[in-house]
Amino acid sequence: MREKHTRGALLGLLAGALALTVHLSWSANDPAPAPAAAPAKAAEGGKAAPQPGSVQLRAARTTADHSKFKELQQDFKSGPEVTKACLSCHTEAAKQVHKTKHWTWEFLNPDNGQKLGKKHVINNFCTAVPSNYAFCTACHVGYGWKDANYDFKSETNVDCLVCHDTTGDYKKLPGLAGHPAYKQMEFPPKSGRQVPAVDLQEVAQKVGATSRATCGACHFLGGGGDAVKHGDLDTSLKNPKRYLDVHMDANGLNFSCGTCHATKGHNIPGSRYTPTGKDDGGTHMRGKVDESNPATCQSCHGGKPHKGKQNGMITDKLNEHTEKIACQTCHIPQYARGNKPTKMSWDWSTAGKLKDGKPFTVKDSAGHESYATIKGNFTYESDVVPDYMWLNGKVKYTLLGDPVNPNGVTEINHYYGSAEDGKSRIWPVKIFRGKQPYDLETKSLLVPHTAAEYGVKDDAAFWQNFKWDAALKAGAEAAGQPFGGKFDFVKTEMTWPITHMVAPKEDALTCTQCHSRSGRLQKVEGIYMPGRDGKPWLDWIGWLAALGTLAGVIFHGGLRIYLANRKAG
Amino acid sequence: MSGNSTKIYVFKVFERIWHWSQAALIIFLLLTGFEIHGAYANFGFKTAVIYHTTAAWTLVGLWVFAIFWHLTTGEWRQYIPTLQKVDAMIKYYLTGIFTNAPHPFRATRLRKHNPLQRLAYLAVMLAIGPLIWFTGWFYLFYGSWADWGMDKYLSLEWVAFFHTVAAFMMLVFLIAHLYLTTAGHTPTSHIKAMITGWEEVDAEEPAAPAK
Amino acid sequence: MLKIAAGFVAGIAVTGAAAWTMAGGLMFNERVSPFGVEETVARIQHNIQATGNGWTLSGLRNPARAVQTDGGNTLPVLMVEACSTTYSKPILNDDSVRYLSILMPCKISVYKKNDGKVYIGTMNAGLMGKMFGPLVGDVMGKVAEDQQKFLVMDPTKPAPPLIVPKAGGEGAGGGGGGGGGC
Repeated sequence: MREKHTRGALLGLLAGALALTVHLSWSANDPAPAPAAAPAKAAEGGKAAPQPGSVQLRAARTTADHSKFKELQQDFKSGPEVTKACLSCHTEAAKQVHKTKHWTWEFLNPDNGQKLGKKHVINNFCTAVPSNYAFCTACHVGYGWKDANYDFKSETNVDCLVCHDTTGDYKKLPGLAGHPAYKQMEFPPKSGRQVPAVDLQEVAQKVGATSRATCGACHFLGGGGDAVKHGDLDTSLKNPKRYLDVHMDANGLNFSCGTCHATKGHNIPGSRYTPTGKDDGGTHMRGKVDESNPATCQSCHGGKPHKGKQNGMITDKLNEHTEKIACQTCHIPQYARGNKPTKMSWDWSTAGKLKDGKPFTVKDSAGHESYATIKGNFTYESDVVPDYMWLNGKVKYTLLGDPVNPNGVTEINHYYGSAEDGKSRIWPVKIFRGKQPYDLETKSLLVPHTAAEYGVKDDAAFWQNFKWDAALKAGAEAAGQPFGGKFDFVKTEMTWPITHMVAPKEDALTCTQCHSRSGRLQKVEGIYMPGRDGKPWLDWIGWLAALGTLAGVIFHGGLRIYLANRKAG
Repeated sequence: MSGNSTKIYVFKVFERIWHWSQAALIIFLLLTGFEIHGAYANFGFKTAVIYHTTAAWTLVGLWVFAIFWHLTTGEWRQYIPTLQKVDAMIKYYLTGIFTNAPHPFRATRLRKHNPLQRLAYLAVMLAIGPLIWFTGWFYLFYGSWADWGMDKYLSLEWVAFFHTVAAFMMLVFLIAHLYLTTAGHTPTSHIKAMITGWEEVDAEEPAAPAK
Repeated sequence: MLKIAAGFVAGIAVTGAAAWTMAGGLMFNERVSPFGVEETVARIQHNIQATGNGWTLSGLRNPARAVQTDGGNTLPVLMVEACSTTYSKPILNDDSVRYLSILMPCKISVYKKNDGKVYIGTMNAGLMGKMFGPLVGDVMGKVAEDQQKFLVMDPTKPAPPLIVPKAGGEGAGGGGGGGGGC
């Protein structure tokens, strides 16, 4: 700290002197002052002409104006009616969607045979889908999924609009089983706030490509609110500035989600169930068949992405780092950087408290809920410094029936990886800490019945009656799980690899942030990092030897001087 | 001090340039190297790495010249080890130096290093030097281990370990060396010799004055 | 004699160098906060308001926002500004030290560092005040005493809400408004 002060002061003086010199030289020699030009240019940057890839240009590229289609010039009463019209031209679309996890909410992990997908996974946010279908399926790409007997064969139940809307008016409300509001309704129930009916004809006539807003309608709001779940996905990415994400920068490259998650036949690549820990495949080339994940950094930037300008020695060194370090580790210095704090912990065990017989909420200093009767205690944080771990793309979940660790922490999902397997890189992750119910007899996680269908009075739903026994019983029944009636709460951790919110290159981590004794990678094992590692005993021996030698020569020299003086004296 | 002294020309221009630039580089390498090792913060890790690597390559270049010079001039013979008079040297450093006894070794153009120096410098060049160069080389080309097919046999942890061992040995040598430069005919005669080339030595006892 | 003089000069040089390198550390303090950035700021703000002695909040600055506006990233920084006319008036009324208005209002900075921890940065008002004569020394000594009270964190008390000044205080490095008149 002290050092910095003195050096800072010196630098400041130097910079000041320099600025003064530069200023003087301008005013002396330059009749048309250069400094004026710079701010003008900067001001223009704010509302620059449409960049390649902007919405206007993309719209200009399409050959169809959907508002001119007869099929869409009708007074749609429901979502499925719109889908029927869509399918009259896009004959294969629903069949394609039927094969995706956006539709099935099911995914068979080929690595270990685990059945994943929203239908099966238990997390430590709202915990699980079964028994809460009508609520959760607001984020299903379909209509009408309100219980376990859903018709997954129905083509007209596919929801085209939720992904292809360009108006921003199409909103699926929790509790309506995937439907939007067809008539004006009070939402949330008993809130006094009104949600207008959606104009299906308008939305249908203005369909277009997916966008950050359509993907974000679900993925930005996961876990029950803006920024809650992922940490690197929130509504600040709808129109991000350059600092937040250099690729999605609305005034710059303006990537949509699909730019990286390059989709064929509605099957969107790049999933956290089978992430790519280490992509050694190089860049994807046009025309060349490449089934590897197109959403990795390497699929565009390749394996040696750092180029010239700076010291060549450092460029080479950085490119060597790509062998062990994921791009994200240095280039996403913090997550939740869009001034929207993400949820860091959720303690269900305190849920259900009442004040004067009524549910209540408590807010933290920044105005976010730190307690809610329906959910328990939370903490939020923005600009979070990630945790770091080896990740090779293999994941194992703790599913229904799997044992928990009542005395320690249970991993909701365990990401595999190590320094030695040659398939891992060090990744930044968000670790979300929870405390959630488990069955004292079966020692496995329980899934509470929290939310009821819109307008339905449901005594078992926790969010209506705040009674754990009833909610857990109903949840277990819906999930087909035995429940003895005795439960407690167990600590859980869920890991989320961080990959969005890529900062401009000048904001990447500096060397010292990892290459130091207490740097960011302090806890990452299996590699030797100069500046972080070493053998303490070697350092002891080394410094003692040096000090010993120094002491020896000082003694020897002192003796010489002393004896010489005595002789002289 | 003894008045019986004379001067001989010991270190040629190249040797002196070699010595001092090598000294500066080694001190600089120690400074930057221990920063990279995490002992303290000064330049910042990145800058320290750049400086350390640059200085290392410069020293490599210097050594290439020095080896060439030593071979072509035959000066390499100066480092042939000898045990002759080693005991006398040790005895001198332990006792004689305090009683102002005459230095048991008399430098000449053909034998400019005393036997202890010979041994020490040879150790530096044959033990510390190779250790530091080999480990440094592997350290520097860490990214190429796989291409060389050596990644199975090497670990950065041990490469760095031995590099650090060598660095500590160099540091110990440096301290001792700095001190022993004062152990000549007069405390400054060795240092003056390394600067001017002319070393002040005890006049030859039995024979006539040198000049 | 020469040796003694040389030793004396060397002693002065060493002391000077030590003072020079340590001065920055003495003038400013840094401590870790057990709370998040917003909560730390909010607790300080409420402490300031509870201290009395004429203390009012005079602003809350967010220089990180300005960096973001320019397209860059920096970890969160919030600067709490507080002012007490009880202390500012005597200094402002003395022409010989009026230039010290440059140190007003009193600032406390709350920021996150790369270790993920939240820090509180304060000026060592007591020590700094002593450099400017008895009047300033006396006033700043009292400011320092009050400043200690600003930083008392009682985790048993619930998190108070952040006080955001109304007059555009959160703007791009934008300034004060809101609170009392310094």
